[in-house]
Amino acid sequence: MNKNTRKISLNYMILVTLLMLIALFAITPFAYMLITSLRQTSSLDLDIQFNALDFTNYSRVVKNFNLLTNFKNSLIVTVCSCLLNAIIASMAAYGFAKKNFPGNKFLFNIYLITLMIPGQVTLIPVFTIMRKLNMLNTYPALIIPILNAFGVFLIKQFMESLPDELLEAARIDGCSEFRIFYLIVIPIIKPVLVSLTVFTFITSWNDFIWPLVIATDSKMHTLTLAISTLKGSYSTNYGLVMAGSTIAFLPPFILYIFLQKQFIEGIAMSGIKG
Amino acid sequence: MKNQQKQALYGYLYIAPSLILISIFSLIPILMTLYFSFTDYNIIQAPTFTGLKNYIRMLGDPFVVSSMKNTFIFTLFVVPTQTILSMVIASVLAHKFQNKLGGFIKSSLFIPVISSTILVGTLWSFLLATDTGIINTFLALIGLDKVNWLGTKFTSLLSVCLVSIWKNVGYFLVIFYAGIMEIPKMLYESGQVDGANKYQQFWYITMPMLKPITFLVVTLGTIWSFQIFDLVYVMTGGGPGRSTITLVMTIYNTAFKEFSMGYASTISLLLLVFIVIISSIQKLLFKDNY
Repeated sequence: MNKNTRKISLNYMILVTLLMLIALFAITPFAYMLITSLRQTSSLDLDIQFNALDFTNYSRVVKNFNLLTNFKNSLIVTVCSCLLNAIIASMAAYGFAKKNFPGNKFLFNIYLITLMIPGQVTLIPVFTIMRKLNMLNTYPALIIPILNAFGVFLIKQFMESLPDELLEAARIDGCSEFRIFYLIVIPIIKPVLVSLTVFTFITSWNDFIWPLVIATDSKMHTLTLAISTLKGSYSTNYGLVMAGSTIAFLPPFILYIFLQKQFIEGIAMSGIKG
Repeated sequence: MKNQQKQALYGYLYIAPSLILISIFSLIPILMTLYFSFTDYNIIQAPTFTGLKNYIRMLGDPFVVSSMKNTFIFTLFVVPTQTILSMVIASVLAHKFQNKLGGFIKSSLFIPVISSTILVGTLWSFLLATDTGIINTFLALIGLDKVNWLGTKFTSLLSVCLVSIWKNVGYFLVIFYAGIMEIPKMLYESGQVDGANKYQQFWYITMPMLKPITFLVVTLGTIWSFQIFDLVYVMTGGGPGRSTITLVMTIYNTAFKEFSMGYASTISLLLLVFIVIISSIQKLLFKDNY
């Protein structure tokens, strides 16, 4: 080995070490969360007795704090918003991309403008509307505001590459409008639907300010909301709060492990909108 | 002709559900916010028109002033830091580590991105706890004093900034990484032929080619800075004093703790104005790219 390659490989090793440290810095807090959740101590020191770890905090947090109800709420809200968003957005995207109707361009431009408006700006009026409709503390109120123009925009872009001839041929063959959409369009846009669903999943599972405002009854709290309440009232019972946090962390994390590529694409795409 | 009309009708049918939702939960609310901003409204009684009263009040409101100040400090610190960090890591990964190791680094840095801000804030406020937190334990190991991270004015804002960077670097890293992969390899090859070293290649090829993406990342980062709420809610509650209060937190407190919905709407519009300005700049400058 000559001097030059040794120098390069030393640089390389330094780079690898540096990158590993960065990765560790990102992961370690989560490992720490998991370990703390298994400990019975009100201290956060590093003096961890591994044989004393158990699941007491989990059973307490589930029994005494109804975390399963919160889990169920989060699950209902997330699944429904993913499904509704996929259906409603792909329908609208198809309408905008493949149907000529007066006002098509104009309406779509309005959609693009609404993408700029953050949810916090319309928090108060949407809350007043929900209150007028008697929908505070209901699932629809938690679900509906998650749906927005982003999905329509995303799918429409993807649909531009769908050849009109294909749809026309199906129409000539006597395929009904609904069957064209269901049997031809949907299968073609599947990849983008997966990305959108991942994005919707993360948004609704992690959503905070909207549930905070609309779910005044603790029975309707989502898991994310429950964690903040738990942290607020049991701030020194570290194990308990970390057990709750771990439960909230696992569903997105497990999905992420299986669908890494779609996760990274779906979430990164959200930034590159309008 | 008849077929065309039929297609138009189907068009309306397909967009109808979405259009109804967007109208009720996006378009009408914006007009309502505008209307509320000129009124006194406590949600129980109907709004009463008060003209510019809320706007005048906003100019001298210490909470709004502090929010703006904190947002500017936050943006000036967080946005450049996370942009440079993610760009450099992305470039190192894309040029030297297109292998399992690079994939592992990228995936690890993405875990904070998929976790909720509430969870991340909870976790970090434990790590930063004064007497029992692990960060102070480490500081003690190297002989430094305990720091009351979330309890003093300067360090509380700093902590929120650092945690925010920690959470977002993975996100911007992925965007930059995708951008670097699209730079034609040829440019680097001819750069090498001309004798440019790695740093010169980064400076003269990677950076200029990434200009639109960098602008996007800066814009997004700035918009997120203006919208920050969850992290301060769970880590500091806006305190101590007003040292970490933000616009959205002021909106939330004004609307849902003091029930001054009218005045809170005025502050919401201020937030909207900032965000529209920031994203318009980006759209005007890079119309063709994104």
